[in-house]
Amino acid sequence: MSNTQTQDKAEPSQQPQQQQKPSVLEEDDEFEDFPVEDWPQDETEQGTTANGTDAHLWEESWDDDDAAEDFSKQLKEELKKVDASR
Amino acid sequence: MATPTLDRFLASVAEIVKARDGAKLQDFLQIEPPLPDVYRQMTNELRQHHPSGPRETDLLRRCEGLVPKSKGSSWAAFPTFMKLYFTFLRDVNVDNLLETYDLLKGLVNQCVLALGDSQMGVIVLPTVLYFSKVLAKLAMGLDRRPELIAHLLRLDGRSNQDETAEKVTLVEKSANVVREAFIKCLTDRSGTPGIHGKPEGKRIGIYLMANLCLKLLFQCGKLRNAEQMFASISAQSPPLKYFPASQRVTYLYYLGRYLFSNNLFYPAQIALQASYDQCHHQALSQKRVILTYLVPCNIILGRFPTLQLLQRPEAEGLAEQFIPICKLIARGDYIAFREHLAVGSPETEWFARKGILLPLRTRCEILVWRSLARKVFIHGGFHGEPQGPNQRGPPPFLYLSKLEVAVRWIQSQHTVPAQKAYGFFASQPELDAQAGNNRVGSQVVYKQLDWDFEGVNDLDAQEAIPGPSLIAKYADFLAPDGYFDAQGQWQANLAGNLVDGQPSADYKHFELDPYASRPDLEPEDGKPTLMMREIESILASLLTQGLMRGYLTHKNPRLAIPGARLRGALPTGFPNVWQTIYSRESEDENVPGWVQPPAVTAVPTAGGGRVVNLSGARPVGVQ
Repeated sequence: MSNTQTQDKAEPSQQPQQQQKPSVLEEDDEFEDFPVEDWPQDETEQGTTANGTDAHLWEESWDDDDAAEDFSKQLKEELKKVDASR
Repeated sequence: MATPTLDRFLASVAEIVKARDGAKLQDFLQIEPPLPDVYRQMTNELRQHHPSGPRETDLLRRCEGLVPKSKGSSWAAFPTFMKLYFTFLRDVNVDNLLETYDLLKGLVNQCVLALGDSQMGVIVLPTVLYFSKVLAKLAMGLDRRPELIAHLLRLDGRSNQDETAEKVTLVEKSANVVREAFIKCLTDRSGTPGIHGKPEGKRIGIYLMANLCLKLLFQCGKLRNAEQMFASISAQSPPLKYFPASQRVTYLYYLGRYLFSNNLFYPAQIALQASYDQCHHQALSQKRVILTYLVPCNIILGRFPTLQLLQRPEAEGLAEQFIPICKLIARGDYIAFREHLAVGSPETEWFARKGILLPLRTRCEILVWRSLARKVFIHGGFHGEPQGPNQRGPPPFLYLSKLEVAVRWIQSQHTVPAQKAYGFFASQPELDAQAGNNRVGSQVVYKQLDWDFEGVNDLDAQEAIPGPSLIAKYADFLAPDGYFDAQGQWQANLAGNLVDGQPSADYKHFELDPYASRPDLEPEDGKPTLMMREIESILASLLTQGLMRGYLTHKNPRLAIPGARLRGALPTGFPNVWQTIYSRESEDENVPGWVQPPAVTAVPTAGGGRVVNLSGARPVGVQ
């Protein structure tokens, strides 16, 4: 019983999300005109304090060194198997 | 004459022209419905007193009075433009959008001609911009409603006998009109032109016009036409930084996208990042569109978006799109990567619509191979002798046969029943899992065997008895619908009847064989497999791009990583992707199309190293 109830609850909240997403993605295909012509540096993305220079936007080190991750683990096993058979 | 409204209107315009008030002129020359009552009254007067026909010259004469005569030079294009404006008001029928478009295009054209005047042209600049925007909006609206322009397309098809001639869409036509206005702005000769100039005179319109033109060119997919624009801007525009923020951000966005689509990812990244940085922090919609291109651009260059970036409000929904790709690149499963970005898969629809699917798929795969090679090295490579500073052991290395094992293992993991595949294209990646069984060609990319070459190898053993497959293949030759007999008479042929009886020819010689040698048919001991050859090429590509460091040995194929004693084998052999690309690309920070202020020449300091030009020096004492 409790199972069906949670499902019932979950469904309505999921549906509007699914319907909304494509429209959100489609709306902004175009680069809209700005409502104002000019703005000072301190109103720019870069100039607002919250996004100062210490904002970390890009990750340069993304190599996956997690040996416990499934793909790595299986790959390791596979390479071992070959070593053993030689 | 009973045209009181028109009279007042003309008088006001004459005043505005005298005062050279461009903004006010634009405000007066309204064209978009709903128009205020005054305009309706004026339209009625025009219909009554200046219907189309001979009395239009009357109207033109009245417009001629608008231009001050004293200047010496007459601004003939302006009266013609004003007359066209009035006839536009009189004749326009907004229920017929296509007709409206044509009328408006004529009006904008004439307005651009008026803009060309070196003295007075600048007065109509705001009007040109306003009209061009309406024209652009109309063209793009019509573009989205093909039923309205269907007859036009048909007409084009008939008149355009030359099939090779490209059809010019309404959007592109509008872009061409706007480009004319852009050129007029850029080539204004008043004041200081070029890099040392400031946005003055008509030059204030350079980026307004360029941005509108770029918007239209992107809309109609004629990016190539933008090339000349960027070149002209580089050559003649004042520095971008002197223009208002909205124009800078918009221009850098389009420039970045243009560079992106030309595979110039590093300068594209600079332009898009600058566009994002200079964007108003509350302009979520614009920031989001910029990120849509800035993020893939960085991924291609080896930098992944952080959660900090993807959690910003403007990045809503982008994480779901890009994080899986980043994960797949780091994982190293090249088939899963291809599968994820296969053309036609539901996940990729969004990427395809944004025009970033192909760049991501083709440019990032090499990063996937780097990850795979790296992981195989971690788990199966020789990492060097345990430390001893003076020890001179062999450098770290990896037998490429281990990479081959890994590739075959990945292929085996992806061998799935064919029913799972959806659509024609989408079934390809799953087929990549079978590429290792290809007898010729690539071992990592599956290509459907060309029908012409099917069964090529089987023919060797074949007797000259036509099997059903041979007949099926050469049916058009062996059993045609009919033939000409010795008398030159057409003889119909029964279906499937062999015209020349059983073929006795050995068809082997007539088969096309694109492969000079087939290693699989003549196996030689010790010769590397096809797949090994391919893995070598992939690694060689990684090495030439600097994404891996070391060298390959061809005999007993190995990847060796010398010079790793200090930093360790892994960082030496597999350097950071972004830093590698950055150190190579950042030598030239110049972004084509982005005009920077002239570099301040450094004040020469006294000291050595300066070359003194003595060509003008004369011997002492000579006058």
